[in-house]
Amino acid sequence: MRAEQRSGSLMAAPYTVFLAVFALYPILFALVLVFLRWDLVTTPAFAGFDNMRLLANDGRFWRAVMNTFVFLSIHLPLQIASALALALALNRPLAFRSFWRAAFFLPVVISGAVVAILWSNLYATDVGLINGLLVRIGLNPVPWLTDPNTAMPAIAAMVTWKNVGFYVIIYLAGLQYIPRSCKEAIEIEGATTWQRFRYLTLPLLLPQTILVVTLSTINGFQLFIEPYVMTGGGPLRRTYSIVLYLYTNAFAYQKMGYAATIGVALALIIGTVVFIQRRVIGKAEVL
Amino acid sequence: MPSVHFEHVTKRFGATTVVEDFNLDVDEGELLVLVGGSGSGKTTILRMLAGLEEVTEGTIRIDQHDVTNLPPRDRDVAMVFQDYGLYPHMTVRENLSLGLRLRKVARTEIERRVAWAADMLRLEPLLDRKPKQLSGGQQQRVAMGRAMVREPLVFLFDEPLSNLDAGLRAQMRIEIGGLQRRLKTTTVYVTHDQVEAMTLGDRIVVLADGRIQQVGKPIDLYRTPVNRFVAGFVGTPPMNFVDGLITGDDGGVVFKAEGVHCALIPERTPQTMPSGPVTLGIRPEDMEVDVADTLIDTSPRDGLQGRVVLVERLGGTSHIHFDAGPNRLLAAVTNERLPEVGDAINVRLNRERAHLFVEDRRV
Amino acid sequence: MKTLRRIALYGALTIAALTFIYPFLWMASATFKPLAEVGTIALFPEHATFDNYRTMWARAPFGRALLNSMFVAGTITLSVLVFGSITAYAMARLRFRGRPVLNAATMGVLLIPGQLTLIPLYTLIVQLGLVDTYAALILPYLFNATAILMMRQFFMQIPQSLIDSARMDGMGEMRILFTIFWPLSRPVLSIVAIFTFMGSWNEVLWPLLVVREQHLMTLPQLLTVFSLGGGAGSIGVSLASAMVLVVPVVIAYAFLQRNFIESMAGSGVKG
Repeated sequence: MRAEQRSGSLMAAPYTVFLAVFALYPILFALVLVFLRWDLVTTPAFAGFDNMRLLANDGRFWRAVMNTFVFLSIHLPLQIASALALALALNRPLAFRSFWRAAFFLPVVISGAVVAILWSNLYATDVGLINGLLVRIGLNPVPWLTDPNTAMPAIAAMVTWKNVGFYVIIYLAGLQYIPRSCKEAIEIEGATTWQRFRYLTLPLLLPQTILVVTLSTINGFQLFIEPYVMTGGGPLRRTYSIVLYLYTNAFAYQKMGYAATIGVALALIIGTVVFIQRRVIGKAEVL
Repeated sequence: MPSVHFEHVTKRFGATTVVEDFNLDVDEGELLVLVGGSGSGKTTILRMLAGLEEVTEGTIRIDQHDVTNLPPRDRDVAMVFQDYGLYPHMTVRENLSLGLRLRKVARTEIERRVAWAADMLRLEPLLDRKPKQLSGGQQQRVAMGRAMVREPLVFLFDEPLSNLDAGLRAQMRIEIGGLQRRLKTTTVYVTHDQVEAMTLGDRIVVLADGRIQQVGKPIDLYRTPVNRFVAGFVGTPPMNFVDGLITGDDGGVVFKAEGVHCALIPERTPQTMPSGPVTLGIRPEDMEVDVADTLIDTSPRDGLQGRVVLVERLGGTSHIHFDAGPNRLLAAVTNERLPEVGDAINVRLNRERAHLFVEDRRV
Repeated sequence: MKTLRRIALYGALTIAALTFIYPFLWMASATFKPLAEVGTIALFPEHATFDNYRTMWARAPFGRALLNSMFVAGTITLSVLVFGSITAYAMARLRFRGRPVLNAATMGVLLIPGQLTLIPLYTLIVQLGLVDTYAALILPYLFNATAILMMRQFFMQIPQSLIDSARMDGMGEMRILFTIFWPLSRPVLSIVAIFTFMGSWNEVLWPLLVVREQHLMTLPQLLTVFSLGGGAGSIGVSLASAMVLVVPVVIAYAFLQRNFIESMAGSGVKG
């Protein structure tokens, strides 16, 4: 079909060009940049393995990596538990079901920048809403974003809040696939509500849980706007994220080569972590 | 002592009554079949017995205990579902043993029972496979094994053979029947297939619109159906019905309709015969067909006169579809010589086996 | 007993729903509060005022930023829909050399974390002299791999007979795409439109890199810069600027929430 070949190639050509320029070239050039020192103004200089060596010894970078793991250690379990709980609550004939669902999903559609600004104000030590409520109940206000120990957890809680609706939808979809006869069979077999959850629901939701973990992890490694707006990376660099560091190196320090190196390192870290996660969770099939 | 006891059980969904005043005793060790069309309430009754549906009114007792308000897990029943309900993420062995593991039965006992059920149902080679690796029939047997392993008071079957092809269905029917006879567990079995009901049931309950039409042994339902619904439901091919009148002509009691003239046996007709329209019921297998030599024969004959519409040769038996007056009827005969389409035929009835229905009730 | 559990369930759901909605309500009400009242919990201000909005509008070009966002997001969405569907159509229904490679490449693109290509793209923009242009904001987003894959999936299911009879009538491929496929593809097109538009509307990192001039900034970008840069001066003003970004979205969401959920959950794109 010569005509088909021609039309097809013609129609697919713009995208092919796009991919070459905006996908292929950047990946390749990123790998090249790793070996350069460049400030965008003067000519790039060959830097050999300097960038990589610097990165390996860069305390700030590894602090950022550490921060991300702190973030994930709070965010992941919180995310899974809350999304699962809400999905289970919604998975039944309910009045106003679409209203609840819409309410939970609302923060997902709102810009991350807005959410960050909003929660900056909610977490504000003196005039924030949260501390205001705490004081009302008689508790002491907490310096959420200025205490190095609470800052990252506070951000983790906020990100959980923002994204939970998204994962509720994912879990709801998974719950639909559990056959009714299985649920009834296990009831007749003698399962309590908890046993039904543990032996039937949770194992059958494994694919969804893997998805939640993977997406949340990737999201966690890509954290930028939240620390940028809320804490600027502090206090004591405890909320400094990898992408924030990358951005600073590019925008403020004008160190393109180093920033690119951070980017490549990040991609590798994400790939490795996700790979390990899928292996580990995949094995935990039968509890 | 009856093993399962339904007393005035009624089920309503909002304004609709799905099961109306259901009363039944299921004897210990019996295989009782609930049969009916969709909407007859049979599945609802089974699910109420299982505890999966709430009882709107009435009581259910299992082995003298009132279980009406108990959750399924406390009723000591086991159920086989239409789509088997096997746990897809567990092996066959785990499927079989889960119920016992949940109740913290000793491991040696679990192993013993699983081995026993696997042996009875020929599941040994399949024990480490997952349900999706099994055929329909194999999954069916695992579902039964799962029920057996619990050694419950009652087995419940919800149309377990509906998802199997015809050949497998016949085979599994025999297996289920044999199994139940060996285990002697009280069983309540729901199906829409009356052949299944007739071959499996010790007793059958025919349901329509949430009400019991008749309860009895298969042969009783066949020989003496209590109303037109049961008469038409039980038996393949289904009974023929002809609407007509009873007259006292010719010095005897006669049923007359267009193309039909049947002298009825006086002993079998009740003393007080209602005048007016009645319906004659006669099974295809209780009819004999002669090929008429000529149609121009107006003298009253005893039986039906008709014209053949279709002849189906099924081997030993043949089905002759014919028109007698406004009625399309079917005779099942074992004649060697069969009439052609368009032939005129005389059909004789076995008067011993004829039924009369007035307003849907048998008289 | 069952009714008690029901009430508890609805109660829990209401509290949960409130935790998701209340912060936005508070934010909205804070924008109408004068400085003294801003920190209060009360939803209805004692002395409601438009001052915050007036200040915000005066201090930074939010109207312009709104237009910028609409222009950029709109253009990108249009491009993804039009050019993306052309590509998806070719990939779904036309056999051409290299199609499997293009397929694999499209799926591969989804695996690349944005951060890897961020710097090289930035250097590319700088080198092309496109800093502080609309082109910089739009070009890298002209095509969207997720969108193309979704549309391709959908196009593959349209019966061949429709294409055959159209070809026999002498229609060219583009005509077939836009007059036959598009009307049939409303569900997938609206899904793509929503997540593409929302993704672009909420994007901040890329604009922060390639645009410095205030009058070219997108709304979330200006909002961020404004709030962080101290231009706001007070919470009320800063939140007022956030409102400009949020209100259109919430209104659209209120009417189309099923479409939003289907789109953003189905594509994996978050705000």
